[in-house]
Amino acid sequence: MKPRELAVLAARLAVGAVLVYAGAAKASAPAEEFANVIVSYGLVGPDLALPLAAFLPLLELAVGWALVLGVNARAASAAAAAMFALFVFALGHAVFVGIPLPNCGCFGDAAHLTPGHAMLFDTTLAVLCAFIWRFGADAFSLDAWADGGV
Amino acid sequence: MIGAAMRTKLSRRLVGFVLVAVLSAASVMIGRRNRKPFSPDAPDFRKLGPASAPVLIVEFSDFQCPACRVAEPPRRQLLSLYDGKVRFVFKNFPLRMHQWARAGAFAAECAGRQGEFWPYHDALYDRQDQWTNDKADSFLEGYARELKLDLPAWRACLADPSVASAIEADQKDGNDAWVSATPTFFVDGKRFVGARQLAELAPLFIDKELKK
Repeated sequence: MKPRELAVLAARLAVGAVLVYAGAAKASAPAEEFANVIVSYGLVGPDLALPLAAFLPLLELAVGWALVLGVNARAASAAAAAMFALFVFALGHAVFVGIPLPNCGCFGDAAHLTPGHAMLFDTTLAVLCAFIWRFGADAFSLDAWADGGV
Repeated sequence: MIGAAMRTKLSRRLVGFVLVAVLSAASVMIGRRNRKPFSPDAPDFRKLGPASAPVLIVEFSDFQCPACRVAEPPRRQLLSLYDGKVRFVFKNFPLRMHQWARAGAFAAECAGRQGEFWPYHDALYDRQDQWTNDKADSFLEGYARELKLDLPAWRACLADPSVASAIEADQKDGNDAWVSATPTFFVDGKRFVGARQLAELAPLFIDKELKK
């Protein structure tokens, strides 16, 4: 296995694992709790926050597992990058308008990050997504198996 | 030949998508397996409204939590709007990150045992910025004095193991109900977290419940 493929595999597993952990932590808790966090960002009201709170963690889980397994890895990395961009925008908005967020709510109640740390973390993951998107499937992905490579 | 290769490719792609769906569903189910039913019960002094009221609201709250203080005006407004139609139950859920929340819960519980739970409860939220500091014990005793509680009995109550048991029972109920943020309200079992959900969504749900 070439070093570049190894790097793509590592990036895919890292981003995928973070999304699976974040999605599972939120999806297994009541949606109302995540909805309350979404509302605190000041971008949407409780009406829209509740369906978003139910949908976003499931999307994180699906995209996360697609990256871990290497199923449509390029599309999954693009979707993940779009989610990270959205999270960075929401965090940036909260910081810009001065909303005090003691916890970003990214991992439900499982782990607490400050908005600054969360923005840095999400930006790093978005860069890893760009790397995965640039080089596509590695030899250990299900994409490679589907294409007859393994 | 090309058709067979394409079929293999498509079926392998399908296997990938099915795996993603199955693992995503399993992740949610594994996470939710510990959710249990909880008891909405509490001592009578922590209840408001008629026992026969058609709607039951249970609040899990923390006296030191700023979000709980913010939820107080909509909570009071809601109870006055639906006066006689709702039964309200307060349950303690002092969060570990709030250093003085447990002391507040003990103090209110002991005020409750002298029939003054609600005035003490209101004082704790209305003056949250005053007592949530190193001088908490002295402020808490000061509020007990203002309410003309029997101070020796109130102080003795703070050390009563049954008070700790009552608060721990509430916390267990909160954990069983998967409460991790305060305030969390259950209106006939439906969850509302925070002041905005209570103020904006709960009245619609209560109206619906009252029409049943």
